Amino acid sequence: MKVEFVTPFVQAAISVLGQIIGSTPERGPLSARPQVYTTQQLNVVCGITGSIEGNVIYGMPIITADRIASKMLGQPIVTFDALAASAISELGNMISGNSATIIAAQGRKVDITPPTIVKGSNVKITSVNVPALMIPLRLEGIGEIELNVSVRESEGRHRAAA
Amino acid sequence: MATRILITDDALFMRVTLKNILTQNGYEVVGEAENGAVAVKLYQELKPDVVTMDITMPEMDGLAALKAIRASDSNARVVMCTAMGQKAMVVEAIQSGAKDFIIKPFQPDRVLEAMKKAAA
Repeated sequence: MKVEFVTPFVQAAISVLGQIIGSTPERGPLSARPQVYTTQQLNVVCGITGSIEGNVIYGMPIITADRIASKMLGQPIVTFDALAASAISELGNMISGNSATIIAAQGRKVDITPPTIVKGSNVKITSVNVPALMIPLRLEGIGEIELNVSVRESEGRHRAAA
Repeated sequence: MATRILITDDALFMRVTLKNILTQNGYEVVGEAENGAVAVKLYQELKPDVVTMDITMPEMDGLAALKAIRASDSNARVVMCTAMGQKAMVVEAIQSGAKDFIIKPFQPDRVLEAMKKAAA
């Protein structure tokens, strides 16, 4: 997988989290995984389609999800209910959407699919057979979010036209 | 009389957030749709003054719903509200008759400015 495909997701995540949380996340070291895979308790899965295709997983511990959802809702989270899950899901949607905007500005046509929440650790997701790159983002007082990006260039028909 | 709004977004969180911003500022939220198909149906029933429209949604996306609503009512006022800010999408929405294009995440003032403009 090309490292250049990861950069828009990192840029978008830093920008979106900065706007929502009000502090800039600190980027950790990039590592490679044989496939898109998460050991986190709570994961938002987004599909990427178009001239680049694959999946992105935003993974985090429940406590981190609670803290982010509290910030987004402007109130403490007592139980991680449908509204809190929707907030975290929307966070994934906003990062993916902003990434798609950055990728489109580079001349590639991309779209995103609505996010899905997956709870439970040790989850492997396979749609395209390419290794995943993982970048941790640390937020002061909130916790760590893992960005797992597994995308590749599509063959032929979507290459386009922006 | 308060401006009547129909909110369209698949995320419960976003519907709640938009509803809070709008109702706290004197707007009346008359309906909430969780996808484009529901928005098209509710538009006919409720005849709102302004519709907020997400793009990435299951069933029917926001661009298709915008076109369907504008085809049924050429005076329909629709404001896009989405995480997808790419130029091609903004151009398609505006050419299809959208009044404004809000990119998520947004500040409440941006929503209020768009509503004021759309309802004028």
